[in-house]
Amino acid sequence: MKKTIVTGLLAFVALSTQAQKKIEYVEYDLPNGIHVILHEEHSTPNVAVSILYHVGSKNETPERTGFAHFFEHLLFEGSANIGRGEYSELVEKNGGTLNANTSQDRTYYYEILPSNQLELGLWLESERLLHAKVDNTGIETQRSVVKEEKRQRVDNQPYASFITEMFKRMFTVHPYNWVPIGSMEHLDAAQEEDYVNFYKTFYVPQNATLSIAGDLNIVETKKWIEKYYGSIPKGQAINLLRDFENLADADFEKRYGIAKSKFDTKDFMNSKDPEAKKLITSLASKPVVIPRPTKDTEKLNGVIKDVVYDNIQLPALFMGYKFPAQTDADMYALEMMNEVLSGGASSRINKSIVEKKEMATFAFSFNYGLEDAGVGIFAAIAANGVSLDSIQMEFDAQIELMKTELISQEEFEKVRNKIENDLVSSNSSIAGVAENLADNHVYYGSASRANTQLEGYMKVTREDILRVAKKYLTQDARVILHYLPKETK
Amino acid sequence: MKKLFILTGLLVPAVLFGQLDRSVRPAAAKAPTINIKDSEVFTTANGITVILSENHKLPKVAFNFVMGSDPITEGNKAGLSELAGSLVLSGTSSRSKDKLDGEKDYIGATLEASESNLYLSCLTKHMDKGLELMSDVFYNANFPESEFDRVKKQNESNLMSAKSDPGTMADNVERKVNFTNHPYGDVMTEESLKNITRDDILNYYKAIFTTKGSYLVIVGDITKDQATSLVNKYFAKTSGVAPYTQELGKGNFNKGNRVIFVKKPGAVQSVIQVSFPLDIRTGDQNQLPLTVLNGVFGGGGFGTRLMQNLREDKAYTYGCYSSLNVTEDGSWLSIGGNFRNDVSDSAITQILFELDRITNGYVTDDELNLTKSSMAGGFSRSLENPQTIARFALNIIKNNLNKDYYQSYLKRLEAISKDDVLTMAQKFFTAKNCNIVVIGNEEIIDRLKQFDADGKIEFLDAFGNEVKEMKAADIKKEVLIDNYIFAVTKTTSLKAASKKLKKVKSVVEETELSMSQIPFPLKNSKVWVSPSTEGQKLEGQGMVLQKSYFDGTAGYSVNMQTGRTELTAEEIAAKKKSVGLFPEMNYSSTGMTYELIGIENVDGVDMYVLKLNDGETETFDYFNTKTFMKMKSISIQKNGEETVETTATYGDFKEVNGLLFPHSMTLSVGEATFTGKTTSIAVNGKADLSTFK
Repeated sequence: MKKTIVTGLLAFVALSTQAQKKIEYVEYDLPNGIHVILHEEHSTPNVAVSILYHVGSKNETPERTGFAHFFEHLLFEGSANIGRGEYSELVEKNGGTLNANTSQDRTYYYEILPSNQLELGLWLESERLLHAKVDNTGIETQRSVVKEEKRQRVDNQPYASFITEMFKRMFTVHPYNWVPIGSMEHLDAAQEEDYVNFYKTFYVPQNATLSIAGDLNIVETKKWIEKYYGSIPKGQAINLLRDFENLADADFEKRYGIAKSKFDTKDFMNSKDPEAKKLITSLASKPVVIPRPTKDTEKLNGVIKDVVYDNIQLPALFMGYKFPAQTDADMYALEMMNEVLSGGASSRINKSIVEKKEMATFAFSFNYGLEDAGVGIFAAIAANGVSLDSIQMEFDAQIELMKTELISQEEFEKVRNKIENDLVSSNSSIAGVAENLADNHVYYGSASRANTQLEGYMKVTREDILRVAKKYLTQDARVILHYLPKETK
Repeated sequence: MKKLFILTGLLVPAVLFGQLDRSVRPAAAKAPTINIKDSEVFTTANGITVILSENHKLPKVAFNFVMGSDPITEGNKAGLSELAGSLVLSGTSSRSKDKLDGEKDYIGATLEASESNLYLSCLTKHMDKGLELMSDVFYNANFPESEFDRVKKQNESNLMSAKSDPGTMADNVERKVNFTNHPYGDVMTEESLKNITRDDILNYYKAIFTTKGSYLVIVGDITKDQATSLVNKYFAKTSGVAPYTQELGKGNFNKGNRVIFVKKPGAVQSVIQVSFPLDIRTGDQNQLPLTVLNGVFGGGGFGTRLMQNLREDKAYTYGCYSSLNVTEDGSWLSIGGNFRNDVSDSAITQILFELDRITNGYVTDDELNLTKSSMAGGFSRSLENPQTIARFALNIIKNNLNKDYYQSYLKRLEAISKDDVLTMAQKFFTAKNCNIVVIGNEEIIDRLKQFDADGKIEFLDAFGNEVKEMKAADIKKEVLIDNYIFAVTKTTSLKAASKKLKKVKSVVEETELSMSQIPFPLKNSKVWVSPSTEGQKLEGQGMVLQKSYFDGTAGYSVNMQTGRTELTAEEIAAKKKSVGLFPEMNYSSTGMTYELIGIENVDGVDMYVLKLNDGETETFDYFNTKTFMKMKSISIQKNGEETVETTATYGDFKEVNGLLFPHSMTLSVGEATFTGKTTSIAVNGKADLSTFK
């Protein structure tokens, strides 16, 4: 199973949603706070079951980074009713596939199953939410897996640290200061209890969006959801139940002042004992407090210029600009601006810096859009013997052009065509639809944006693109990183 | 190793929720039916069968234009169809390749071609423009000379690689031995590629890309009216003749098993493929139960008969699979994997045993259910791709299948019983007419005779053609080496050669290597300084990808990804066996194991084959019997269970300071083949060793 961190580029692709065909869906909240989105579509006998947990690396504390991504791995270890390693086996032997990924803002799990296994998928995800195995055995196993992943994807990849380095300088207050892979030292230093607490804080119904798309019957699906998710305790009561299942009698009693024996194991939530009943009711009425950072408001003061030494042969240039959060109305125009600059072989950056002037082996720009802020990144790996300063001059010339002249009508049309094609294609699978709906609900406050995104792009004028270029490509406030070979240090 | 145990017994008794027992895993609901809409079918006056499958989920549409001809038998021009297919999009009489690419990009479309189809996919609103391009290619492709040359060259490099890749070799030979005088038995060789001219390509295009008998499969957001009018607008003109047809045989059904061996010098493991043709065509009622049988037998995953026996139980291999190929032109089963030399014969024994066993008893319920579930899931997920629907619609028409053939797939699959599977095994897996293809080390040949019905093993080459036996050498190895030294030093006595070589203090050589898949050339530099210091460096785009250095007693290599590695004691000992500018001169004193094994005819030229072993690497050097120049070198380095094989060929020998050096070369490593041109050779010039350190 491949579980991946959503990198900047992928995040960009994932954000590109929507089509001109309307996606029909129903949505509602369960009393325990789970948001449910159902998209019924019978074109193939498959169903995608997904849960988006609104927790990413930005919810971590600076001393315990990497937790969100670590959980993406840990939560395949099984549950009170699913043996270790059995989670994926159950999916695969029933004809399905599964995967998960983590970003700064969210952790996302999904299964694609034959539609007659929908109930199985619902049960599997409900087990993960209710009482996943968070214990030392699993933590040890997954620590080594995650370390290997970091070695392969970050440490051994030349230039791969540039997001880390860029974000570190771009955000000194906001937790975007670090990236999802986090610190291996933090993961090592953490105790079982730290992991249990993370699970109890973020893996709770009020933080989950259950998005299901495909060959389903809405009435029947709602019944199954009621069965497996309706019974999941509300508020802090879920953690009472988890402690009841995991703690020894004495520890439990010490924590809650009530003996475990007072609770009804046959029907826990309806325990008859008055003390037990009182505690359950009281905890259920208290929501779990989920810490969330405040939106980034930090301004860049001037130009931050730094050198990073890496295991590389060719120097590289990375420039970053503060962009607004992905929900900002300007993002449509900024995305289109980026297409003009870097969308494909015939884009401006590629044509000038790579093809005509042969100053770089690769050069591109992209928008790293996130929930609380965004970063516009320009990157180039220098051709042999070309100085990074001269590449920067060429980037600056392109940026200047972007800020002073309207793009041509032909470029405008081409970019519109490309964006439309990409948006339409992103909805070709039920897994894509389930994810789009969940993202739009969580980030934009409404799944309905899945149906209006293209409109947003089509409203953008050439003048808008000029305006956002002027506003955000601030030459006097940016981060400039020079990547140089370690030997030259 | 992955076993599907359910570990419920080990779990802590869980809390219950009233009526809900969470430990109960939900059972599957009734198997879903699939919803593949019937296609509309109509024909045009010029003979195109249009198959339209409307799907308005997304505003996209795909057009697959499939030619109606049978595949051609290519004989001494094997590879012609493939080459033609890769050239169809090289330009038309009114659009250059660049123009065609540009117009396609502007509308964000995909346009692809093969030897027998054109495929377009785009947003519905751009379909008019997209079809204009597709139609232009269909009627007016012009196959520019320059593109023909470029693609042919590219194929030449691919063939170089094919000769050292045992997997490709096994596939080539398998096709040849199962299908004689059948298009599936056409395997491109260097010779057959040479025989193909641009005119052949033009003639192929004229004969095959014809309207008559073709199928245009349209899937997506388009109405019948739109489809009709677009077909009239862009494909009304008649083109070409009637489709080409031929009676295709079912393959070679042997009497008894055959063993076919391809020698792979120095191999530490064998690629084994046991195959036989099947008398079945697409859409046959037996296809589905046969597929289930293959799934249980070895179709994929860890739980199959082959994997359980040969991997889990006997540990002969990392993977052993069977693949079932059912097509409308011919069908076969292929069972194979990689096996260590010493278990190659045992592996064949077990494969034949499993073939026999499955015909002798029922598969278990677990085996059957696992296979059926994973097939059902895979089938269902594949339906999300519009291309799958297009393929189904076409198969129904072309093979006269029931309209609901795919619609009823899951139902039919569900109904397949253990009896059905056994019936299939007894009908198709007779295990008595196998073509056992082994690509491996000749030391295992004797142990394979037992599997051949007449005890006579056939020897074929990398492309499945007969090999001539190696002739015995007519000279001794010392004489060969002396003559080689005379040739490269342009002398006639050892004394004169030594005198000349004594004056050589250093040689610096620079070669430019290029490869079709890499857009920029690589630079390879080599330095040698008397008596035994050598360095090598490979650079690309200004980056040093790899370098190595050896000063006669110690050394190391540096790789961009893995960093610096010191030479081991064994590697140093091996290196010391090849000292000097022409190490051959010193073999008799350095302890190199070397042997002249005979004369082999390579592409029409007789070559002496000198086998070397320095303890680390086994090398086969090929010397022209007339000129004594070294023309080719195959070296095989063992790396545990794996071997890395490098083949180098040399040519364009030119004199530098009185010595002959090759100025052109090819280099194949694994699947990559480079062609090299030497850009400079400096003898006794400035040899700056520091850049190699």
